[in-house]
Amino acid sequence: MTLKRIAFVQELLKFMGLEGRLHLEWISSAEAQKYVDVVTKFTEKIRNMGPNPLRAINEMKKAG
Amino acid sequence: MDMVKAAKELLLQDRVDIFLGYHKLDGHQIPHGFTKARVADLDQLEISLNRYPLEKIACDLAQKDPTLKIGILARDCSQRALNLLYTWDQLNPENIETLTVNCCPSSLSTHGDCSYLKPKTTGEYKKAHGIDYNDSPKDFMAEHDSQDRLSRWMYEFQKCIKCYGCRNVCPVCFCKECSLEHPNLVEPGVLPAEVPIFHLIRATHMAGRCIDCGLCEDACPAHIPLRMLYREVNDAVSDIFGYVPGDHIEKSPFSIIGKTVELTPAPMDV
Repeated sequence: MTLKRIAFVQELLKFMGLEGRLHLEWISSAEAQKYVDVVTKFTEKIRNMGPNPLRAINEMKKAG
Repeated sequence: MDMVKAAKELLLQDRVDIFLGYHKLDGHQIPHGFTKARVADLDQLEISLNRYPLEKIACDLAQKDPTLKIGILARDCSQRALNLLYTWDQLNPENIETLTVNCCPSSLSTHGDCSYLKPKTTGEYKKAHGIDYNDSPKDFMAEHDSQDRLSRWMYEFQKCIKCYGCRNVCPVCFCKECSLEHPNLVEPGVLPAEVPIFHLIRATHMAGRCIDCGLCEDACPAHIPLRMLYREVNDAVSDIFGYVPGDHIEKSPFSIIGKTVELTPAPMDV
């Protein structure tokens, strides 16, 4: 179910121009190294992408 | 008129208790329930381009009295909506009779009755900064890069006056509790609606549900191209899961636990 929903939401976000900010990975509690690798890789990826553009838009709106 | 005769027959032969169609009130065509007691009213039955979600009215009636037999003036989109409502057990197909109007003109019958037959025109400013009503989701993806797509959708969504018209008119929105009214998701009393969350919640819920009738787009006072958004949503559902809502009586992949299709998580591309 999760896989189905995430696959769909990834498509939707891509259509909206917000792709790449959602990732799904299965990690067992015995796979500590995999967990570290995935989180590090994703953090790096997000950092390179920069802040979510929506935040700027919503803050601008609040400021009027 | 044949339709009037057919509707009268349905009522007089007790095949339906109420027939949902349209009549004219103060110059406006609005939905009306015709009954056997006042069968002569059917002479005022109006069939025009105007559309309302009659299926939704049928749902409300069925909730009050599940045994009520309902006749509906139906278009192609109504048929899809009914299929979907049968699938989700909102209506019992045994209690529904439809009279089909010709909504899509063809070479065999050139006349059609649907508000969608009047093509929507998109203004120049909207074309330049927003989204063309008549654009297909695939073309839109191909023509604009992700930054451009985001800014165009944000232009459209920011116009939202949070009237809930899209939800209220939607024939397949039947949930008693609506996420759009959940205070943790959509802050009540705040205008404008938080974008794009409000619209994405609805878009997500339209996945595997939207029957592409276009009533939301007709109803939207802010001219947000909702039909095109939900088309994309359903394109995704049909591309990934091969499911087309309202096509036949089959539940959407999002309501079935377990495998409906072989999927693997998308790899992280850096």
